[in-house]
Amino acid sequence: MGGPAALLALCGYTLGAMLTVSGAVAGLPTTTVALLPVAITINIVMGKIVYFSGLPLQLDSIGTVLVGVLAGPAAGAATGALASIVVGMTITPGALPYAVTAALIGFVAGTLARAGWFRRVPTALLAGGVIGVFAGVVSAPITAFVFGNAGGTVGQSAVIATFQAYGNSMLKAASLQGLVADPLDKALTVALALTLLAGLPSGYVHRFPFVQQHRVLAVHRLVPRRT
Amino acid sequence: MGVSPRSADDSPVHRLNPLTKLVFAVTVTVSAFALTMTWWPLLLFCAAVLPMVIASGTLRKFFPMLLALWVPIALTVYVIQGFFYPETSRVVAEIGPLELKYEGLVFATQTALRIMVLMGGFFLLLLTTRPGALMSAMTQRGMSPKTVYVVSAALQIAPALAGRAQGILHAQQARGLPVKGLRGRVRALVPMAGPLILGALTDVGDRAVAMETRGFGTSRRPTFLTEVPDTAAQRVARTVMGLCALTAVVANVFGVLR
Repeated sequence: MGGPAALLALCGYTLGAMLTVSGAVAGLPTTTVALLPVAITINIVMGKIVYFSGLPLQLDSIGTVLVGVLAGPAAGAATGALASIVVGMTITPGALPYAVTAALIGFVAGTLARAGWFRRVPTALLAGGVIGVFAGVVSAPITAFVFGNAGGTVGQSAVIATFQAYGNSMLKAASLQGLVADPLDKALTVALALTLLAGLPSGYVHRFPFVQQHRVLAVHRLVPRRT
Repeated sequence: MGVSPRSADDSPVHRLNPLTKLVFAVTVTVSAFALTMTWWPLLLFCAAVLPMVIASGTLRKFFPMLLALWVPIALTVYVIQGFFYPETSRVVAEIGPLELKYEGLVFATQTALRIMVLMGGFFLLLLTTRPGALMSAMTQRGMSPKTVYVVSAALQIAPALAGRAQGILHAQQARGLPVKGLRGRVRALVPMAGPLILGALTDVGDRAVAMETRGFGTSRRPTFLTEVPDTAAQRVARTVMGLCALTAVVANVFGVLR
């Protein structure tokens, strides 16, 4: 029981993450490459703090969103996937199957940043919600089939158990939990990432061509647009 | 961080090429998930993972690490799926208003054992391999140096940040920040974390310049200072393991052994 779905989720997602990394990293400029380890560390440290607090939140993608906003979808995707690999190598191998979800978070953050959603706070928080919908739906097969709906924190498991108790299938319960928790989680993540961005010296964000080209952030109204 | 204490001791497993151990971890994981017999992952764990762990002499570190991560997941999956597994018929026991279901318990056993194999295979890799050696082996097999840099740097950044956190703490204390007691510690978090994270981010620009002056990001293939040892036998073993994994996937797809 559960065999083909579990294997399909596991292999497909791992393959996807590997392709994402090899495709995305090659084209990144050195400034972005140097940023990724710092972003990954931010992910891990915040993720650990929140995990031990027992809240039904994750907040383990602040660095991923930050890179997506500063350096674009490809860089964001690479950050997410490599962060999962680093967590898999240091904290728990259970993070490895989720690499594609993490990559997607960075990719969506970068895409929405390019579309200008991060210029104002309300749309940025909305972007967080959209990122959360993607993350919730994409991580559900892994949570359901690989981990039997038991991979997350105590809070997450309790929510999933409730959905299953009301007669939902495992995948549906995991998806519903994702759709309930992830948009809020990612909106908070975006808020924290914006707080970090606001604290950085204004010259810093100018180093990233992606921010200038697509006028990603509001402060850049003063900067003439490059065409 | 969690899994950093790596034994410095030497064993045949430690001396294996990191890629061999990586392929081993992937193969046992794929096999555990591919075949659908309930107790198959346990057999795989005892027949493949355990002998390797014993040969590596890391048994004393392996089991506490594995159990610390695996037991909570296993307990959760038993509780959730034992009681709330959808579309079940056979009730094993009733505890208050809850019914313990047979199908749920079978699924929970299978899932817990599969996760045990996944974690066991990768813990074996981590306990017997320096991340640096794994990364050099990957570079020599054609992985992008940028990817290798990101992973290696992320693994090494934590000690460097811990040192800087100490410096920031002293600086803030010198300005009169109270850090005594639980409340003081929590309130000190923001004046600590702010400069720490922002400082780490602002360093990035300088580091990028330093890296470029040292030829980072060049399109030429670099040569290697240290060759990771590899043997013909290990190459054969990797191919065989790869074929095993492939067979398991094919058997799964076509529904053999079900």
